[in-house]
Amino acid sequence: MLAVYQITLRQLTGKWRLLIMAALAGMPVAITTMMLSSSRSPRVEEFEMVVLNTMLSGSIIPLVVLAIGGAAFANETEDRTLANLTLTPLPRWKIVWAKLLGVISVAGPFIGLSAFFTGYIAFLGDPTATIAITASAVAGLVLYGAFFTWLGLKTTYAIGAGLMYIMLWEGFITGFVSGARVLSIRHYAVSWMHVLDPRRFPNVEHPAVASVVAISAIAFAGFVWLSVRRLRKMDIP
Amino acid sequence: MSGATTPVIHVDGVSRWFGPVVAVADVTFNVMPGITGLLGPNGAGKTTLLRMITGLADVSSGTIRVFGERVRDNAPLYRRIGVMSEHETVYGFMKGRDFVRAMASMRGVPDIERAVDRAVEMVDLADAQHRPMDTYSRGMRQRMRLAGMLVHEPELLILDEPLNGADPRQRVQFKALLKRLAADGKTIVLSSHILEEVEELADTVLLIVNGKLAAAGGFRAIRAALNQRPYHVRVLCDAPRKLAAEVCSLPSVDAVKFDPDGALILLSRNVTDLQIELPKLAQTAKIRMHRVEPLDDSLESVFGYLVEG
Repeated sequence: MLAVYQITLRQLTGKWRLLIMAALAGMPVAITTMMLSSSRSPRVEEFEMVVLNTMLSGSIIPLVVLAIGGAAFANETEDRTLANLTLTPLPRWKIVWAKLLGVISVAGPFIGLSAFFTGYIAFLGDPTATIAITASAVAGLVLYGAFFTWLGLKTTYAIGAGLMYIMLWEGFITGFVSGARVLSIRHYAVSWMHVLDPRRFPNVEHPAVASVVAISAIAFAGFVWLSVRRLRKMDIP
Repeated sequence: MSGATTPVIHVDGVSRWFGPVVAVADVTFNVMPGITGLLGPNGAGKTTLLRMITGLADVSSGTIRVFGERVRDNAPLYRRIGVMSEHETVYGFMKGRDFVRAMASMRGVPDIERAVDRAVEMVDLADAQHRPMDTYSRGMRQRMRLAGMLVHEPELLILDEPLNGADPRQRVQFKALLKRLAADGKTIVLSSHILEEVEELADTVLLIVNGKLAAAGGFRAIRAALNQRPYHVRVLCDAPRKLAAEVCSLPSVDAVKFDPDGALILLSRNVTDLQIELPKLAQTAKIRMHRVEPLDDSLESVFGYLVEG
């Protein structure tokens, strides 16, 4: 499993990919800095909606994770190297797990640091808010990671399909159709922020901690299960 | 371990289709220890068949057992199997040794460094093992892939077009290695569309034509199975027309013709008798024969018959 993890890390850390990740991850921090330095500082609700919800959880995190997670298996499929992993005694769940850990390891620093500095700057170093925002981003990373890793196994057009998902589903439909949020990773992630800092984000009906944990765990386990199943059933190129 | 009479691979009524295209149609055969060559033209279904045997692809119908077990979705079985696919499935960013080490690690080899040393030496790439694989020639990558396949000492080796990209020297080394592995008791299945390779290496030949098993067995056994078609024997002599008239009386000769060079071609379903009768006839007729050669005693000609058929 360590060998699969190491191969994945090496595959996902190309120079250009890392540069794009860094640029994307820097955007929320830059926007936050600009917002706070303007003459009219935003209210918490405005900041949450524009930066934390729409930008960080709805765009930056999924884009960064898509670029990494979508490639985790898709690279192997394109290069026809996936057989190197599947023609081994390794159980399929270990292969999926190693790939997912690789995705989280590569994308994690970008997303974690981006969320941390965004929260720290926006809330003037308030530890609760900063931790809540960072934890929310990490939850989003893990959930999007599981989803896009599965998508990379499911289709060779993972990047295109992922972009459509981010724009149409997470960016548009769940913004207008409240019922659709039950199936929105963005809203699962944001719920973590609300649960961890209800004082700072008081204007929503906070979900129960147990339900946030449960729904996140179910979504994560579901996508991992789908990936394992796909890897067992698919014809390996 | 499999006994001598237990097939290592048992393929029973296997078919595979992709939409309306039938890639493999109702193929049944067994593979025993030794070297088995899977032969057929490009597009015959060899790779699809090997992919199903290795579990990379599913069957549409039929069953495949390897060491008596189903191969698909049976990860532990890969401790006993080594597979080298047709494509260059290497990570170019890795050094050769790191690649073989990774293959060993994934296969749970206990003493990895020793196993890597042995495998790398086996393919004669010890000097190049610390170079990234994207600096290798194609033949070197093939050999390093072979090292990765051999590092866990599998009992069954499956190789799809293994000699592609190898230069003549590497081919000789590769063939020698395969023969050595077979002598050590490994079961080897290799596919090729290059007839001489299979003829030289394989104890048993499986001929695949248009997704069907056209023939199976030893090369000469396959040829014997085709005895409804006469052998072609080319005779060079000092009086071909006179000899043609004489040989028509021989029961072992079915037909006579001349090739464009004027040499006599005899068609015979009974070459054993012809070998005895022809020299006697020539001696009696005082015809001097310079050369007698079978034209279709090579795998190429057998393959040609089957494809035409």
